[in-house]
Order: sequence, then structure tokens, then C-alpha cells
Amino acid sequence: MTTESEEEQFNAQVGDHDQIWSIIDNALLGIGVTRELGYMDVIVSVEAGEVAAACAALRDDEESMFDYLRSITAVDNMDEGMEVVYHLYSINKKHDLTLKVFLNNDSLEVPSVTEVWPAANWLERETAEMFGIKFLGHPDPRNLLMPEEITDSFPLRKDHPLAEIEVLQGEGMGYSGEDA
Amino acid sequence: MVEIVTQSNVSAGDFETQDLLLNVGPQHPSTHGVFRMVMTVDGELVKDVIPYIGYLHRGAEKLCETMDFRQGIGFMDRTEYLAAFNAELSYVMAVEALADLEVPERAQWIRMILIELNRLSSHFMFMGAFGVDTGVFGTPFIYAWRERETLIDLFEEVSGDRMMYAYFRPGGVAWDVPVNFVERVNEVLQSAEQGISDFDSLLTENEIFVARTHGVGAISAERAIALGMSGPSLRASGVDMDIRRDQPYLKYDQLDWDVVTGEYGDVFDRYYCRLLEMRESVKIIRQCLDHLKAGPILPEKMPRMLRTPPGEVYVRTEAPRGEYGVYMVSRGGNRPHRLKVRSSCLSNLQALTELTVGQYVADAIIILGSIDIVLSEVDR
Repeated sequence: MTTESEEEQFNAQVGDHDQIWSIIDNALLGIGVTRELGYMDVIVSVEAGEVAAACAALRDDEESMFDYLRSITAVDNMDEGMEVVYHLYSINKKHDLTLKVFLNNDSLEVPSVTEVWPAANWLERETAEMFGIKFLGHPDPRNLLMPEEITDSFPLRKDHPLAEIEVLQGEGMGYSGEDA
Repeated sequence: MVEIVTQSNVSAGDFETQDLLLNVGPQHPSTHGVFRMVMTVDGELVKDVIPYIGYLHRGAEKLCETMDFRQGIGFMDRTEYLAAFNAELSYVMAVEALADLEVPERAQWIRMILIELNRLSSHFMFMGAFGVDTGVFGTPFIYAWRERETLIDLFEEVSGDRMMYAYFRPGGVAWDVPVNFVERVNEVLQSAEQGISDFDSLLTENEIFVARTHGVGAISAERAIALGMSGPSLRASGVDMDIRRDQPYLKYDQLDWDVVTGEYGDVFDRYYCRLLEMRESVKIIRQCLDHLKAGPILPEKMPRMLRTPPGEVYVRTEAPRGEYGVYMVSRGGNRPHRLKVRSSCLSNLQALTELTVGQYVADAIIILGSIDIVLSEVDR
């Protein structure tokens, strides 16, 4: 938790972002939010369980109107778990937001937001196959880019080796990654 | 003995047509690369489309995480090989934001000129390939190739390469443009302008072309937004969104140009939006040439090894096919901790099923052609 002076310092830094903060705070009323300042956007993080509700609120609120989902991806922080990152944009209001969810390594599950933005469908499939994050309630949880047989190896995780192509071909495409 | 069923015993309701599964690709000239789709066809109508992608997945994101900031530029070229300057731009802008680098004026104007020229060459490519898709084989394709060739010659003079330029650097550009650059750009613009008019008269009012494209594969503005489409494919549905104007980068806010939007969101609008956009690009480049003054092209004190403080940034630029975003996370050091490329083609391609269902089989290919995908950007 931030102390009061830190809070003041933070508020001084936000400066011109004041407006967007109040908009987001209003939209996300009743949902626990941690605020952070990015280079170009403001960043808020929410609990994994609340992400679908938060996204729906951000889309439907008349002031925030985040109707456009730019991308979904994840970042592997190794021992510190993973974060799922959503980049949102509002075509009407022309403001944007980075929404984050932090996950522990023992519970890599997050609700799907395909109900909120259909655009999330492929983006979540890609994130799922690359990082092994499960998107609960996804309508079509197949692999997107990877061959369909590979379901136990997650290439974009930090502990996944950069295997030589010969290794993959030699063992068939069902490479398990055990010798990593 | 064979039982003969007479016509009178069968009512119309008893007949069932069987759906046909039609596989297209992955290696098929009309899929613009290695892309496979399985269509469920009922007579001439498409009932369902399941796209399969990933044939060109090379893990560019993972590879970039193992290389320092300058080495990653080459990989960005290879994700979007028809508009490589645009792809590089997002990447170097992300590094610049993290490393807090100031880009000199001249470098910014050079970048502006090159990315807009690249938009022209990319759209010419679209015009040619799209002409082939609609059945106007030959003439437009060769015309497009001729125009694109003059542009690519210029890129080669500037960067030394025809497609994989690797010319932008964090902080500016690799080296200064040739001495006759302004003359050459003017020359190329003149021929490009002629080329655009040629296409306008060749396709826009061509009776066959219009008959094949009007009202085909339409999508509403709401659905296009919800599906995450961007670029000309989104603007064709009447959505007034262009990152160059809405969240200006480089020098777009200092110039006078218009955002082109369509009305019906059909195949024809997606084509025509691109055509009009090319005229705007010519307008932008002409203005940029006036601003191009002598000066440095890289910041004075560039470190040999570029390091950035920890942080993260999402940079978006308007590439010819839509929003090309680069999400870069740095944990300090000389390489990104995580690099994500937001591909405009991936998000646009996601709308394919919705665009194609209910249309004729013969139109499926021109609908695919009209969203102008580059498969290496889809798969990365």
C-alpha cells in the first residue's frame, strides 16, 4: 500500500492523465484496482476473477466506452508468475488503457473475455497455446498457430529452450520439451 | 429386384442436400500465402468457414527476446515483408520510448516519407493481386508490378535492400539518404500518381469488376469494431479511425491530409478506400519533402550498446493493413524481456468467417483478397 506522500507524488506524475483516471475509477466502481503509470498509456490491474466483469464495465460505461480490443498477450515473469495484458482503445473517446491481470504459477487461469469483445477469440487462443494460460469459458480452445498435437509445450515461456529445428524434426512434431 | 420409387411418392421435404466440405490451401495461389480454410458448402452458398493459420509461424517474438535491440529490427522486416518500413517503425519507436531517445528532425521526415512510400508500394501490390482475384488477370497485375518496381528501386537506393530494409535505427535512421533523394522521390511520385489514376480508370468503373465487388462480403461498423478489424478494412465500414490522426506520431499532426472512410463495408469499399488512401499518401509525401532540411540523422551521443531502463510500452502505428502494434517489456539490459507484435492481419483475418458465411463460393476468394492479408504477419 502506498503511503500518503507517495500517493501525492504519484498524483503529481499523472498530471494530464487526471481525466482518464477518474473515468476509469467511475467505470470500475466496486472492482479492486491497482493503478500504475505506463509510458504511453495508463495501466490498471485487477484480480483474475474480476477481469470479465471489469472488461464489460469498461466497455459499457458511457464515459470510458472501450469498444475496441487491440491485443491480448502475456508476460512470463518466471518465479513471480505471469501477467495477462489487455490493450484497450475507445474509438469514440480516443483514449486507451492497459489492463493487467497477475497470475500465480500454480493457477494459470483467467476468465475469457470473448463475450465482451469477439476479437478476443484468436488472441486468447494464441496466448493460451504460447504460455499455457487457460481462458475459462473460451468457445473454441484449440491451438491457433501451433500444430494441434502440441498441447504440453509452451514456446513463449522463458524456460522453453530455443530448440534447433533438427531436434523438433528428429523427434517428430510432438516434441515434449522434457530434456530442456 | 430394385424397388422403383415413383416421383409421386416423394414429397419435396424428403430431399436432403448433402453439405460439401471444400478445402482451400494451404498452398493455393489465391490464398496469398500459406493459409488454409475449410469451407462447408451448400450448393453455391458458403455455410461455414474454418480458417487454419500458423504455417509460417517462426517465433519472431521469442527470437527477438534473445537478441539486442538493434538485431530485432531485421525480424520485424520479416514479419511484414510488404511494408517493412512500417513494421520497423513500430519497433524502433518502442525502443526509443523505453530508452528515452530523441529522434532528430531530419530522421523523422525521412521516416515519414519512407513509410508513406511503403504504403503506396503495399497498396499497389494489393491492387494487382486483387485484380487477379476478381478475374481481371494480367493487365492490372503487371501494371501494379511496374509501379511497385519503381518504388522498390528507390527503397534499394536508400537502404540497400528491396524488401528487408533494416534501415531505421533506434534514434533515427542508419545512414543519410542519397543526395538526389528529393528528385528521385518526386520522380517516383509522378509515376505513382499516374499509376493510381490508371487503376482508377482500369478497375473502379470496370463493369465486371463492379458487378463482382459491389455488395459482396459486407460487414457493419459495429461488428468490424467488435472483431478488432483495423486499417482500410475497418474504415471501409464507415468507422472514422486512423491512428495517424487520432494518436499522431512522427509529424502527422503538422500536415494537411484526410482520413478516407467508406460507407457499406463491402469488398468494393475496401478496395476503393485503399485507392483513395494512396492519393492521400502522395499528398503527405509532397508536404514532407518541403520540410526535409539538412541536419543530423541520429542523436549525437548514441551508445555502442543500447540499454533501456525497466519499463513497458505499447506503440501503435498505422501500417497499410491496419494497426501494427509492438508491446515491449524491458527488465533493464540490452534486450527486451518480452516482445509482442500486434498483427493487424491476424485481427482482420478473424473476421473472415463472418464476412464469408452466406456468400457464394466464387466470392470467398475475393473477400479474402479484399482484407489484404500478409500471412507472415498473421503467423509471425
